[in-house]
Amino acid sequence: MTLAVTAVALLIGAVLGAVVAAAKLSGNRVLVFLGSVYTTIFRGVPELLIIYLIYFGGSSAVTAIGQAMGYEGFLGLPSFAAGALAVGIISGSYQAEVFRGAYLAVARGELEAASAIGMSRGLRFRRIIMPQVLRYALPGFGNVWQLSLKDSALISVTGLAELMRTSQVAAGSTRQYFLFFIVGGALYLILTSLSDQVFNRAERRANRSMPSAMGQV
Amino acid sequence: MDIEFLSSTMVTLLKALPMTLALFALSVSIGCVLALVIVWMRVGGNRYLAGFAKGYIFVFRGSPLLIQMFLVFYGLAQFDFIRNGPLWPLLREPFVCAVLSLALCTAGYSAEIFRGGIRSVPPREIEAARAIGMSGFLLVRRIIAPIALRFALPAYSTEVVLMMKSTSLASLVTVWEVTGVAQRLISHTYRTMEVFLCAAVIYLVLNFIVLQAMALLEHFLSRHLRAAPPAAKA
Amino acid sequence: MPEVPRLSVRDIRKSFGAHEVLRGISLEARDGDVISLLGASGSGKSTFLRCINLLEVADSGEVWVDGEQIRMVQKGGKNRPASQKQVDHIRAELGMVFQSFNLWSHMTILQNVIEGPVHVLKRPRAECVEEAHALLKKVGIGDKANAYPAHLSGGQQQRAAIARALAMKPKLMLFDEPTSALDPELVGEVLRVMRALAEEGTTMLVVTHEMGFARNVSNRVAFMREGLVDSMGSPQEMFGAGASPAFRQFIGHFQA
Repeated sequence: MTLAVTAVALLIGAVLGAVVAAAKLSGNRVLVFLGSVYTTIFRGVPELLIIYLIYFGGSSAVTAIGQAMGYEGFLGLPSFAAGALAVGIISGSYQAEVFRGAYLAVARGELEAASAIGMSRGLRFRRIIMPQVLRYALPGFGNVWQLSLKDSALISVTGLAELMRTSQVAAGSTRQYFLFFIVGGALYLILTSLSDQVFNRAERRANRSMPSAMGQV
Repeated sequence: MDIEFLSSTMVTLLKALPMTLALFALSVSIGCVLALVIVWMRVGGNRYLAGFAKGYIFVFRGSPLLIQMFLVFYGLAQFDFIRNGPLWPLLREPFVCAVLSLALCTAGYSAEIFRGGIRSVPPREIEAARAIGMSGFLLVRRIIAPIALRFALPAYSTEVVLMMKSTSLASLVTVWEVTGVAQRLISHTYRTMEVFLCAAVIYLVLNFIVLQAMALLEHFLSRHLRAAPPAAKA
Repeated sequence: MPEVPRLSVRDIRKSFGAHEVLRGISLEARDGDVISLLGASGSGKSTFLRCINLLEVADSGEVWVDGEQIRMVQKGGKNRPASQKQVDHIRAELGMVFQSFNLWSHMTILQNVIEGPVHVLKRPRAECVEEAHALLKKVGIGDKANAYPAHLSGGQQQRAAIARALAMKPKLMLFDEPTSALDPELVGEVLRVMRALAEEGTTMLVVTHEMGFARNVSNRVAFMREGLVDSMGSPQEMFGAGASPAFRQFIGHFQA
């Protein structure tokens, strides 16, 4: 369950992140401003608050839509959707910064060389920019994944029956809090260290063209 | 825009601000001291201490803060020796549990950040100090620590901002700080957007202040990296 | 009474893994000696110098500074100094100048120079500051006291490093290829300072590639080859007819 939420959230985040990064890099003052507002708010405000916003605000919105369509009563936003959306929006702001940094890290010279050869902008984007952006962004993504994994723990607040919640419920019913939280925590630890290994391997593969002296940032 | 509602919300939220600030200040300071101890263990020669520190950092960075907080708040109460122990009146308090778990968590992250700073100290400068006859605590105090601090500062300011945001989790263990009060307001009034806006503004201002303070510190410490002043008159 | 040599090194051996870098080096430096240590890369010159102030620890051998032996013990199969305090005390009496200057970049030049005297020798700050200004003037950068190392040229930084070493009032100065990292036009100013020190009677041990210095300023020249001292003597002997064939071949590389 945790993985599903995180995965969906990351996809949402990737799309949002790419859009916002593009906005911030565009040079258009309005877009840059809007992009900055987005990243500032969603990185600067506690995740919990954002989850409340999405869940309660989303529920109100959904209820309002329901009422407009003639349905009386309260419609809750399904918790999976709320959770994924919230974490998605948050990780989107972090991903925007990762994309932006990775894009800026692609050496100017390589872009010029590509243009000098006569590559069209589309081709240049596909063959030179994208692969390098992905390579530079990988460490950042590792962080974003870890972050989102932990944020999905907060989804328990909106009643999602997933890893955290299961621990809590199980703990409540048997009053064996300590044991169940330890198990829950251990499971998370395993998830994060596994993710760590996957990302490290991916990074090493992506960086095989770089000299080995280039250590971790 | 209902100005009256906004301002009354703001007032209510601001009443919880001292609690947020207290959580923040205490956990950052305790966490920082604890991190220094942990990193001292980690880079020292003793294999067992280093192993313990490594494990500590792994656990507290790898697991969610929320679980850690629940463990401290709900979990500790389970053990008889804690309930009957001398610290119980303290450990019973949600505020203390929150500060304790926040401090333990940030100590893990901060120790790793400090360790990165220490590893960035140019070995040549350490060698020059040893060649003059410095060692031990003197060496750390005069050469290693100042340089390591300068390298660690950017990453540490990010961590401090994260701490400010993490205080919001204390609301889940019944501490009435800004986010907790905000959630209560939302569930009473259903005016999600307005309450969110007010709370968001508070946090954004707090973060801004913290970032400015850190930037000032960085500026003050990096005089040696800036361009030379125009030549003094002969 | 025979004079106690400033430095006496006996049978120093050092290996890095399977590679034996120093194969039994002995050397003596009397008060006022200026000894140039020459040799090809890999001959072990820098390692030998660093074994003297224990930045490297020799596998065996003895180091005596001014009649005091650096006490060593065998710990876990390795040679280790017996007392960190003694090591610090000896290091404070030996001045070292590094190839990469190694100034502390977060401190001004003045702070660099007074750091040792104030914090290691525990002398009063005002005195140290006054002496520091005099030293900086002596090496020719009196006006740079409040600048940071990054603002200085290589030659200026190295002269500052020399002042820093001199501030400790050492019994012996060790120079580890002091001009090798400098642009050619800056080498002269550093050599001038070193020459002045030699003429004042400073005891100096200099690892260098500067043949001019070895020939004209030092009073003894030692040639190292493959971890041993191949030959040693006065500059007249070494650069003249008495030179060993290996040495002659070595200096042949330096004459275009």
